[in-house]
Amino acid sequence: MHIYILLKSILVTALLIAGFGIFTIRVRRLFRIMKSVKGQADSKVDRPAERIKVLLTDVLGQSNVRRKRMPGLAHTLIFFGFLAVQPHSVELMINGVCPAFHVANIVPGFYGVYLFVADILAFPVLVGLGYAIYRRVIVQPAYLTDGLDARLIILFTSVIIITFYFINAFLTIPSIGGGFDYARYFTISNLVKNIFNLGSLSPAGSRAGYEIAYWLHLLTILGFLVYIPGSKHLHLLAAVPNVFLKPLDRPKAMIKTDIEDEDAETFGLGNVADLNWKNVLDLYACTECGRCEEQCPADMTGKPLSPKRLVHDLKLDLFDQSAKLLKGEFASVEPLLRDGSPLSDDVLWSCTTCRACEEICPVNIQHLDIVLEARKHQVLMESNFPPEMQETFNNLENQSNPWGFSSDTRGDWCKGLDVPLITDHPDADILYYVGCAGSFDDRGIRISRAIVNVLKKADVDFAVLGPEERCNGDMARRAGNEYLAQMMIQEKVEILNQYKPQKILTGCPHCFNTFKNEYSEFGAGYDVVHHSEFLLELTKQKRLKHKESKFEKLTFHDSCYLGRWNGLIEAPRELLRLSGLSRNLIELNRTKTKGLCCGAGGGRMFMEENIGKRINIERAEEIVAAKVPTIAAACPYCTIMLRDGIADLNGTNVVYDIAEIIDMVTV
Amino acid sequence: MGRTGILLETDNGEIKESNYGMITAARGAGDTEMYGFLIGGEAASCKEAVQKYGICRVVEITSDAGDLATRPEKQTDALIAAMKNYDIRFLVGLSSSRGRDLMARVAAKLDAPLAVDCIDLNLEDQIVTKSHFSGKTLARLKLCGDMLICGVRPNAVEPQEAPCEADAEVFAAQVKDDGRMVVTEAKGSAAGQVELTEANIIITGGRPIGSAENFSLLNECANLLGAAVGASRAAVDAGYAPHSMQVGQTGKTVSPKLYIACGLSGSVQHFAGMKTAKIIVAINTDKHAPIFGKSDYGILGDLFEIVPALTEALKDQTSQ
Repeated sequence: MHIYILLKSILVTALLIAGFGIFTIRVRRLFRIMKSVKGQADSKVDRPAERIKVLLTDVLGQSNVRRKRMPGLAHTLIFFGFLAVQPHSVELMINGVCPAFHVANIVPGFYGVYLFVADILAFPVLVGLGYAIYRRVIVQPAYLTDGLDARLIILFTSVIIITFYFINAFLTIPSIGGGFDYARYFTISNLVKNIFNLGSLSPAGSRAGYEIAYWLHLLTILGFLVYIPGSKHLHLLAAVPNVFLKPLDRPKAMIKTDIEDEDAETFGLGNVADLNWKNVLDLYACTECGRCEEQCPADMTGKPLSPKRLVHDLKLDLFDQSAKLLKGEFASVEPLLRDGSPLSDDVLWSCTTCRACEEICPVNIQHLDIVLEARKHQVLMESNFPPEMQETFNNLENQSNPWGFSSDTRGDWCKGLDVPLITDHPDADILYYVGCAGSFDDRGIRISRAIVNVLKKADVDFAVLGPEERCNGDMARRAGNEYLAQMMIQEKVEILNQYKPQKILTGCPHCFNTFKNEYSEFGAGYDVVHHSEFLLELTKQKRLKHKESKFEKLTFHDSCYLGRWNGLIEAPRELLRLSGLSRNLIELNRTKTKGLCCGAGGGRMFMEENIGKRINIERAEEIVAAKVPTIAAACPYCTIMLRDGIADLNGTNVVYDIAEIIDMVTV
Repeated sequence: MGRTGILLETDNGEIKESNYGMITAARGAGDTEMYGFLIGGEAASCKEAVQKYGICRVVEITSDAGDLATRPEKQTDALIAAMKNYDIRFLVGLSSSRGRDLMARVAAKLDAPLAVDCIDLNLEDQIVTKSHFSGKTLARLKLCGDMLICGVRPNAVEPQEAPCEADAEVFAAQVKDDGRMVVTEAKGSAAGQVELTEANIIITGGRPIGSAENFSLLNECANLLGAAVGASRAAVDAGYAPHSMQVGQTGKTVSPKLYIACGLSGSVQHFAGMKTAKIIVAINTDKHAPIFGKSDYGILGDLFEIVPALTEALKDQTSQ
């Protein structure tokens, strides 16, 4: 027996050194890869109090994961139970090396309470894992990655928990547990002991049983430890720092590339070496839960893009090329888009930048930072973009609108409305920035005219730029043409700074987002308001007089750049409710932060949609099926896309902008 | 000043209209001897058409190495051989898809400067004019070199006659086949169809056309008008027409003299592709359709009645 204890001590020591050694080497390598990439990350550890709160709610509270109820609950059970057994496992390891070591000898009371809690918390892990197996074997949702990796992790975890109970069940036998009264603190372990009638074993038999459980437990933990860094379970290590470093504010700007930098050899994300450390941490943090894929309008309509696969494929590419990265041989790193790579042009250009993936991601992966930077590289460095975008880029460059209408006719939409130009009325309270769709598209013009009507009804002191107005650059920027976009932004910034408006009102979420979140970086940070917010403000100030409305049921379709990009989810709804439509308002299935994109964002408005089903048809089908006669939108592009989709289905539902609705229900 | 070679383009054996403006641009003050080169097309039959514009010799380039028609690399060698044979200093052609291809190849092989999409030429001073930023600015470029190759934008220069008597002859070029290119199949566009981007008249169908078969209504009318047939994005999306027929922001950009829009609402995406049309005629049943606000003539009515009536009227006219 003494020889066995001595041998065990040596063997456990050796295994611990080997296990933790390999684990450390593998993690160090991951860390070195993270540090080897060239890109500049703007992640910073500011506002520590808020970040600690994030750790408490998102990690310890598991609030982010539980937004998907059942799997989230299962995860919570596994998370806490697994966490709870860890100190016990550490004790067992130390005890294996040094048999005299028992925490019970040091702090018996505390130890007893801990065992009581751990014993109870460990069991729900098995329930959670059972649910995980049920999902993979019975439910099999398409977005959920299943395979050896996933199954192995479930197996490892189950074995760790089951052996935890057996070890403890044996410990309740005095000949194994020694002087400490384990049975007093255990609930489930006692049950295990009774069910398997372990008390009836001979002393030698129970010792043998204990040792078998011990070794199984230890070897599984060490195996798991070695396995983690190479598996999707890397999220055990990377998710917490990634959540801690998450952008604390919902609105975000695109990364401003210094296009004036004469030493820059490349722009955007051309190969894995151009990633930044935060991107890499994002890749590490992904556990392939597939929630992003479930929400992605591109994936659900049969496009080759899935945010989950994008992250996964990029991670594999990073690992494939890590040897070159670690040696600093950046020149020989293969480009992201190359023959045989799952990352293709169609993957990049299928994205509508709707941000549903980032919104739903339980570990706060920033997918768009990757997509948009990769597009930037393709456009600026490779001149590789959908051919139909060429005309749009030319038009934006020459006429500052995507369709190429003469820019001096930009103010023609308001003919006959007696709208003051800001040159004539520089002190106006509000600069109404109309946008390209509002200025040139017939549907958009009707919206702009409705906005003007409402502003006049509320007696708002406003002016427009008219022919001086220019495109804000959003479409060019999201389509990867950073150079053109910055040129347009510069021009626009100079115009704005000339008038220094007190407040800018926009009729389009894309203009709104760009002015609000991106212009301050270019020297024009003005107070910006979208018309849904502004009309709400006017309504609350009782500056609008309402009349009997003719609307029956209506629903609000969330614009991505209003809702997910800027958190303006309640403002348009409240506006409709306060306008006497509270009883008419219903919600579609995919709504608010899970609202489905119309398909036009990220420059997609100006690209062909040849692969799979059209996204606006997908949305229109939902609308037609909901039998809701009126759809309120807050973006001219959504209005156009939904109208076309509904027409394609021969639906009778009518799409109005909220401004048009407010115009109709007020006098 | 040296001889000028004119790369003539033909369509079904006849000289294309757009050549004449190009010849006029190349002629300049008229103190250059102009040779017309034909690859495909007979010198004798084309002579009449081009001598009116001052071409004094029409050379039909043939090859002993088989058909040149589908072999741009052989055409290049044959053209260079002809240029050397006739001591040509300037080569001028159309900035068409064929011209851009062939002239770029010739320029590369001769290491000569190339300017395409010119809207004016001054060969004597070796200066060409190009339009930038959708015509907002004009750039005058001085080209340096012993030989110059220039492509002229179709329809950029108004043709002016300068009649002379031309000779016609055949030049058989010695062309080697290096075997680097093998033509497996040559597909022509359907006979009689006019290319959308080059068409003077376009008749376009929107979603109300209802089916791919119904496009025959438009085709019939188009044949009589010598027009090309286009489609709106909605019609293409509905599968009634191929994408190659799509006019609009993400399809083809066209600028015909006459544009007949049948059953089109006139969305901005479509209008962006045809806004430079000289005359727009709209046929629509919806009097509120935005297209009426953009068209020169509007016909309020069903395209299934109006288009056949138009076809009948055209038939009557041609039979008279």
